[in-house]
Amino acid sequence: MYPKQEVVAMLLAGGQGSRLGVLTKRLAKPAVPFGGKYRIIDFPLSNCANSGIEAVGVLTQYQPLVLNEYIGNGQPWDLDGMHSGVTCLSPYQAVEGAEWYSGTANAIYQNIAYIDRYHPDYVVILSGDHIYKMDYSEMIAYHKEKGADCTIAVIDVSLEEASRFGILNTNPDGSIYEFDEKPKHPKSTNASMGIYVFNWDKLRKYLIEDEAKEDSDHDFGKNVLPAMLNAGEKMFAYSFEGYWKDVGTIDSLWDANMDILNPNVSLNLKNVYSRNPMMPPHHLGENAEIQNSMLADGCDVDGKLEFSILFSGVTVGKGAEINSSIIMPGAVIEEGAKVLYSIVAENAHIGKNAVIGGYPEDYPNRDDWGVAVIGADINIAEGAKIAPKAMVDSDVEV
Amino acid sequence: MSINKLAGIIFANLGDEKLPELTSKRSLGSVPFGGKYRLIDFALSNMSNSGINNVGIIAKNNFHSLMDHIGSGRAWDLSKRRSGVTILSPYNGNSFENRIMAMYQLHGYFEQLKEEHIVIASCECIQNFDYQKFFEYHLKKDADISIAYQKMTIPDNETAPLALTINEDGKITDMLIKFNSGEECNMAVSSVIIRKDLLMSLVKKCVSANTLNFRQNILQDNVKKLNMYGYEVKGYSKHIASIADYFRINMSLMSQDVRKELFNPLRPIYTKVRDDMPTRYGLTSKVTGSLVAQGCKIDGEVDGSILSKGVTIGKGSVIKNCIIMQDTKIGENCKLSYAIIDKDVVIQPNRSLMGYETYPIYVAKQTII
Repeated sequence: MYPKQEVVAMLLAGGQGSRLGVLTKRLAKPAVPFGGKYRIIDFPLSNCANSGIEAVGVLTQYQPLVLNEYIGNGQPWDLDGMHSGVTCLSPYQAVEGAEWYSGTANAIYQNIAYIDRYHPDYVVILSGDHIYKMDYSEMIAYHKEKGADCTIAVIDVSLEEASRFGILNTNPDGSIYEFDEKPKHPKSTNASMGIYVFNWDKLRKYLIEDEAKEDSDHDFGKNVLPAMLNAGEKMFAYSFEGYWKDVGTIDSLWDANMDILNPNVSLNLKNVYSRNPMMPPHHLGENAEIQNSMLADGCDVDGKLEFSILFSGVTVGKGAEINSSIIMPGAVIEEGAKVLYSIVAENAHIGKNAVIGGYPEDYPNRDDWGVAVIGADINIAEGAKIAPKAMVDSDVEV
Repeated sequence: MSINKLAGIIFANLGDEKLPELTSKRSLGSVPFGGKYRLIDFALSNMSNSGINNVGIIAKNNFHSLMDHIGSGRAWDLSKRRSGVTILSPYNGNSFENRIMAMYQLHGYFEQLKEEHIVIASCECIQNFDYQKFFEYHLKKDADISIAYQKMTIPDNETAPLALTINEDGKITDMLIKFNSGEECNMAVSSVIIRKDLLMSLVKKCVSANTLNFRQNILQDNVKKLNMYGYEVKGYSKHIASIADYFRINMSLMSQDVRKELFNPLRPIYTKVRDDMPTRYGLTSKVTGSLVAQGCKIDGEVDGSILSKGVTIGKGSVIKNCIIMQDTKIGENCKLSYAIIDKDVVIQPNRSLMGYETYPIYVAKQTII
């Protein structure tokens, strides 16, 4: 018998994140390193911990090894209670057969038993691919105050951006009257953040109904939420103010990292928890020149850094130059190499005098320029040149 | 595995008098070191990495910060179902006046240990040491007592150095205490392995005879009676005997070779971690030849210094050859050289503090300048 939890959070972390290319070749998107020492999933997990949510189910499917190992017993996020905490939920075999998670709603449907054992009043659905800090308890309080069946967090986006998002059109009291998925002519700028609070008894009913529909994609945005709206359930939008970024593409991942270095952006990493590598403090050599950058433990830097983020255990040789780049754990940048506007993944090796990426001002045609990405464990030979916008997933000889 | 026959004992306060300023509010074991560690992390991590599962930390006074640091022992993987780390403090109004009295009063703890052998260590040694190899040597020699030693010149400030005379087989034939010839000798460092029942009987004998000096009455007095062997410690191993040593040994971490050996990723030095953000370097920062922990915010100039987690350096400040401990805030346009600044100190803008290499100035915890 499990003690009752008022709120259970379900974190959708099974997506491949194919737009991140080589970065998600061997790990799920939520496990992608972010911000010098974190992984993307640290943000929703820390939000849960800081919102007093004690039971969190993480739905994993695509390449779960790194993610499962990283989450472990949940201790870094205080999610290691005796009868609660974080649980990784992967697809499983049952008497009825075995089925992959076919959609976001189906993933929750397959884990109704996990939620039921806590007898929750509310279930929060989260996704593992956004960078933001949010107190879910405030959203749940709003949900209760409105007497809602479902509350969806929304953020104000610009009118141009609005056509990329699911837009919610609301009445003056905040109740939702229409969903507009990627509208050509948006009526409002309230974009759904993919964060939903449901009354569990309602959601449970709709998940079972949705599962029975053969033509359904078993997706929250496409199927479950419209079904609830059509049936006249009370659905409200909850406006969130603060930093929020979808890091589903190379450009947005790079942007979000650069935002940390920007003092004018309100993204504070305080109270974001993570696993900490056991490494000594980082060392800066006699030739180090470091400006507006962020470094984690265990780095050894003797080169020049500007507007860059170095994860733990990165080595930068003498005379190497790193500008506006993100260097993930354990990567080595040899002497004299240049890494410009790039993302270098874990344990990649950049040989002496190699040049990765380029300055945008050197490319008059902006379509030729973009962030270069070097995949994990890739070896770039001495003197090799990698063009901007390239995505490298095999070793490069000269 | 033979190592399960070995339990560890660490004396957390032994050598407090060597760093009087730093230990006025803490035990030697919890003195900060190298930007993110405490001195006890070395002995504790070495024991953990050597497969020792049971470690008793004997703490006589000022052990609040030590207990806070150790917690459940999980950071060193020493929080097991049937074993792990135990902090042993005085009880029933006793006090641990010396090592022998401490072990005498803690005989209950020693008796319940299933391990047949004990390794006794203290915290003044900075090394990445394999106790398993030391223990194998002890068993191979069928020794009653084995003493780890290092070939070195005894430091001037060492309070009670123990010099060993060793024959070609490694057997200890003589011992001299407090004799400093100024020449290189075999100085006992850091640790001793001894059979538990032998240790307990020697301790009881010493207490009844009221001869209570560990080195003199347990080691030296028995050099002819017992089978004692010396085990040479090679590689990087430093012994802190004074605040000048403390400063110098901290600074030795600037060498990449030293860091590679001491912080060997296959045998890591563990410590209690705090969830700090990565360190942030501002547009006006200029940092060279330094060791910097996480959670710092640097807008000034730093050279040849060690900054612990959470340190702030204001714009225009120049910090040279300093050790700055955790969460200390240094305002704008300060000048500091050869200073050891303890935790949570606030240095207001435009202040200057200058020490000298052999006499670094010390600023106590929570001072506001």
